[in-house]
Parts: sequence; structure tokens; C-alpha cells
Amino acid sequence: MESFSFETKGNQILNQRSHVGVVGSGDLEVLIEPGNNNKAIFNVRTASEGFQETWKAVFERFMDINEVVATITINDFGATPGVVALRLAQALEIAKQNKD
Amino acid sequence: MKASFVELKGRERAEALLDKGTFTELLGPFDRIESPHLEPQGIVPESDDGMIIARGTINGLQAVVLSIEGAFQGGGIGEVCGSKIAGSLERVLVDNQAGKKTIPIIIFDTGGVRLQEANYGLLIISEIQSAIVALREFVPVIGLIPGNVGCFGGMSITAALCSNLIMTATARFGMNGPEVIEQEAGIAEFNSKDRRLIWDTIGGTTRFETGFIDQLVEDDVDTFKAAINKAINETNVKPRTRRIDEYLSLVNRVDPLKKNTKDDIIELRKAKTNATTPVLANGIAPGRGRNWFNIFTSNAVSISEYPSVLIADTNFGGKLTRFIAVVTNSENRYPRNRHGEVGLQEGWAMAKYIREAIEADAITGEKRNIVAVIDVPSQAYGYNEELMGIHFSCAASVDAYASARMAGHSVTGLIVGNAISGAFLAHGLQSSRLIALDDAGINVQAMSKQSAARITKRTIAELEEATQKVPAMAYDIKNYFSLGPLDCLIKGVNADEPNPADIEKVSYELLKAIKKSDSTIKHRLETKQAVEQGRKYSILVREKIAEQWT
Repeated sequence: MESFSFETKGNQILNQRSHVGVVGSGDLEVLIEPGNNNKAIFNVRTASEGFQETWKAVFERFMDINEVVATITINDFGATPGVVALRLAQALEIAKQNKD
Repeated sequence: MKASFVELKGRERAEALLDKGTFTELLGPFDRIESPHLEPQGIVPESDDGMIIARGTINGLQAVVLSIEGAFQGGGIGEVCGSKIAGSLERVLVDNQAGKKTIPIIIFDTGGVRLQEANYGLLIISEIQSAIVALREFVPVIGLIPGNVGCFGGMSITAALCSNLIMTATARFGMNGPEVIEQEAGIAEFNSKDRRLIWDTIGGTTRFETGFIDQLVEDDVDTFKAAINKAINETNVKPRTRRIDEYLSLVNRVDPLKKNTKDDIIELRKAKTNATTPVLANGIAPGRGRNWFNIFTSNAVSISEYPSVLIADTNFGGKLTRFIAVVTNSENRYPRNRHGEVGLQEGWAMAKYIREAIEADAITGEKRNIVAVIDVPSQAYGYNEELMGIHFSCAASVDAYASARMAGHSVTGLIVGNAISGAFLAHGLQSSRLIALDDAGINVQAMSKQSAARITKRTIAELEEATQKVPAMAYDIKNYFSLGPLDCLIKGVNADEPNPADIEKVSYELLKAIKKSDSTIKHRLETKQAVEQGRKYSILVREKIAEQWT
């Protein structure tokens, strides 16, 4: 496995934290926690080594559309970029909802 | 329209069972109490360690759903996720004891011990089992085996202790997985590629037809809820693990030399019989278990009808003490059981003789001490063993040891040889105090190296490397001691040929442990080794549960 972080600017404030997914074969879990420092921080642990550039591309694409201010934790067990993007979108949808 | 329950993830399963809007999770993903043992082995952890503790109500009744996420590490039980189950059940027990009725529901989706945290898995599974035995006195403990992973290994023994078991036809429930049996016993014993055979042995339908589960349900959320409701209202049902005569009779009547089918078992179950125990051949072989049993009992004649289970009462340190050992019988009726394994006969037989002592002493009020002399190479790996529910045999023994302890008997374990896997769960791990000889020949583990390597897809060398980083993966008694479960490690004793001084030393330590034994197994979380390092996370998880349990 390997772990790394990726940091970029954000400006969209989120309403609540969110959690989706499981660290199971071909899947990952995503935890989004709203931040307050105009940054988006991605902390990744992945079972598949050597794909940092691919991860970065997925995150950049995600941030192009959603400039979130958040800490995003990812525990990955070999998800494809498509699955990663889907889980990020699912987690974001929940994080945008009003706190109940 | 039907809504699949099996397809739901662990968290969604818990949510689906609880009344709408009542789901509250404890130690959830954001508490980030994950396993500390996986990253050092290059495995990505999960924020909840694959265990969901959910509180809420079911039809207005307080309930706790403990849902194992089978997609994470095959639902394997490690230190954190296992302690989440054990710690929660311990709280549910306290609540029920205080008159706050709370129904515990466990969703089993697990391969058993998480082999990357091996000895933690075994220890904590025994703690879960102890809690279930205690809880059954107050409320039904309901077990669900919906499927995907199914329920195997040490956790199959745990499930066997439940008051009511609910399964689907697409779930599997057995002690040793088909691959492990093939690895240990050869393809002629069990072909792990033969899917028909597997389903006819350990599939939900077979388990229901042969009487090892209570309800076979379709994969539908509402059907599961209805089954749970039924289970909640079914009180006063005698647990299988206490129906010893019924199951021992089955074990005695079946022909272990042929490949029985489920229809054979159904037929045997139908026959009303008071079959007495067959006269069993006794192929006595030397071994540490037998040797130390003979030493403590001054060569007393075993009262057991089963030559592989030695039972004798003796005056030890001024008090009547029942010594129990599982030993090699090279002529064992069950051929997969000829090297001292705990098999179908042994678990039920231990249960029988422990319960006899509990019942006899309940009348006199003088509770004799019970000592497990432990030298067990494993549970028996075999086809007939799975078909006839070896996990129930082991569970009966677990139940009996735990019940004796809770009834006020001092229950102590002395490890003189190997203490492996389901056999150790059945014979030893319910002891209030455990002590061991400090001997290089002793192995304590969840699975043989060969099988563990095969299942975790590593080489033996890689496996051995991992034991350097994670003491719970190691096989030797010194590493086991560092986890905290042992009261003491007795040094300088010849385990095979003890001299009088050795015997005196071991007797002294054993007597000390017997006197300290209480009705719980919590002392193993209080030793110096446990507190400082060995069980840090087990303790932390329990503290966090207590904090959040309002």
C-alpha cells in the first residue's frame, strides 16, 4: 500500500461531514469533513501503488466542478478512477445537504 | 416489491432493521478507531474497522444491531472490530441486568478470525462468546447469516451460541471453509471446487433441514424483520448447545467412515432413540495433555466414556477439582480426529461432563474447581464434521465452560502444549485465568502456517516476516504472553518429562491461578502486558463505547 496527500484551494463551504463506501475489492471509502481554511486536502491510502498521477487527475477534475473547503480522507482497495469519481460525488451530495 | 437485504452494505443492513429514524451509530467512521495492525502489514485499514454498532428500536423495543461488513477483509475479526462487538454486548448485558431490556442482534458476515491479527481474533471471539452466554439468560440473542461471506471459523462457534439463527438459502455456515479442509485433509476429504457438495453441506437450506438453524428466510428486508420479531417473542427455547443428549446421540449413531448426506442426518434425527454410548476403542498415545492430566490426577481413571476426553476429579490443593484434557486416541471412531483434535465427540463430551459437575454442585453448594489441561493441535477438519456441525460441538463446550464460571466454579486453563484455533476456543479460552509453560514447543494460533499462508495469499516466509511486526501473528508462547492473556509464564520446566521440582513449580502456579479465578474473563484485559501494550485498543474501544453509550 502507499499513502500520500494532495492539497489545493477551495472556496465552497459544506454543510456537514459525510461517509460513503467500503474498503472492499474494487471499492473505497470516502470521508468528507468540512474545513475552514480555504483548502481542500485529500489524504489517500491505497492498496494499489504507483498511481499518484491518476489520483491527482481525478481530484483536479473533481475540484474543477466543486471547489470544496474540506478534508477528504480516502481508504482505497483498488477502485478504478470511475468508481473514485462516483464515490466522491456521492459523498459530496450528502455533505452539501443541510444538517438534520 | 421485495427489497434485498443481502445486497445492502453492513451499515445499511443495520439501518434497515431498526425502526425508521432511530438508527444511532456508536464508534462510527469519524471516530476513526481503526485497526492499528493492518498498515504495518501493508493493508489499507477502514475507518470503522468493518464493524457497525447501531442502537435504536425494533417495534419500539430497545435494540442493538452489530453488523459485520463482509466486504472489508472478509468480515474477519481483529482487535478493534471484535472489541466493538464484545464491548457492546457487555454494555447490553449491564443494561439488561439493570432491567433495561435491550435485544442484541448480530449480523454475521465473516470468515472468522482476521488472520492478520490472528491471536487477537481468537481472544476476542472468546470474549464475545462469554457475553452471549451471559446475555441469553436475559434476552434472546439473535443471529443473522444473510450471506455473501456467510459465517465461518471461530465466529461460526459464536453464531452457534445464539438463541435464534436466521439464514437465507444463499448463505453458508460452517466452521472450516472448504478450502481449509482441502488444505488440511486433502481433496478426497473435501473438494473445495465442488459447489453442489458445498451447498449440500453448509448451505442455508441444508442447515435448516438438518436442524442447525431456526429460520430460513427469503432475501427481503421485511421478511428478515418478521423473522427477528418471531425470534424476539420465542422465549423459553432451550439453546442447541444445551441439548447435549440429543446431539451426542446423533454423533454416536452416525457412521463416520462413510460420506454421509444431509438425508442421512435427517433420517437419524427422526429416529426416536435413547442410544447409549458405543463402546469406543482406545488407542492410547503419549502426549503432553495426557501426561500432565495423569500427574495432577495421580493417574486417576477417567470417568469419560470418550477415550479422547479425559475427565477426573481429584483433591488438588485441598479442594475437589475436575481436570479435563483432550488427548490423542489413535483408534478414534472419527478418522479425522485421531491426533488429539477437538471434534464432534469431544466438544459435546466436554459439555456433558462440565454440566454434570455444575448440576451436581448446584445441589451441594460446594462448587468444585475446573481445570482445562490444554494441548490441542486444532479442531477436526473433515467433511462429516462440517455436515454434522462441529461448530455446535465446540460451542457446547464453550457454553459449558462459561456457564461453570458464571455459576461460581473456578475455571482455569493450563497450556502445556499447543493451543490452536477452534480447539482452543472450545477448550481453554473460557477460563477466568490462563497460565502456560514457557516452552519453545508450544504454539498458540488461529490456523496452521500452511493454511494461513494459503488463505492470506502469502508465502510462509512473508507470513513469518509479518509476525515480527505484529506479535498477535506469532506462534510462540512468549509473543502470546505479551498480549496479556496469561497470568504467568512458568519458566524452566521440562514440558515433556517434568521432574518432581518441575511438577511442584507448576502445581504451585496452577493453584495460585485457581484461587484468583473469578466469574469473568476480564482479567486478561487488566494484566500489565495487556494495559501497557497487548490490549491497548481492546481497552480503548470499550472506553469509547462506555462514553457514547448514553
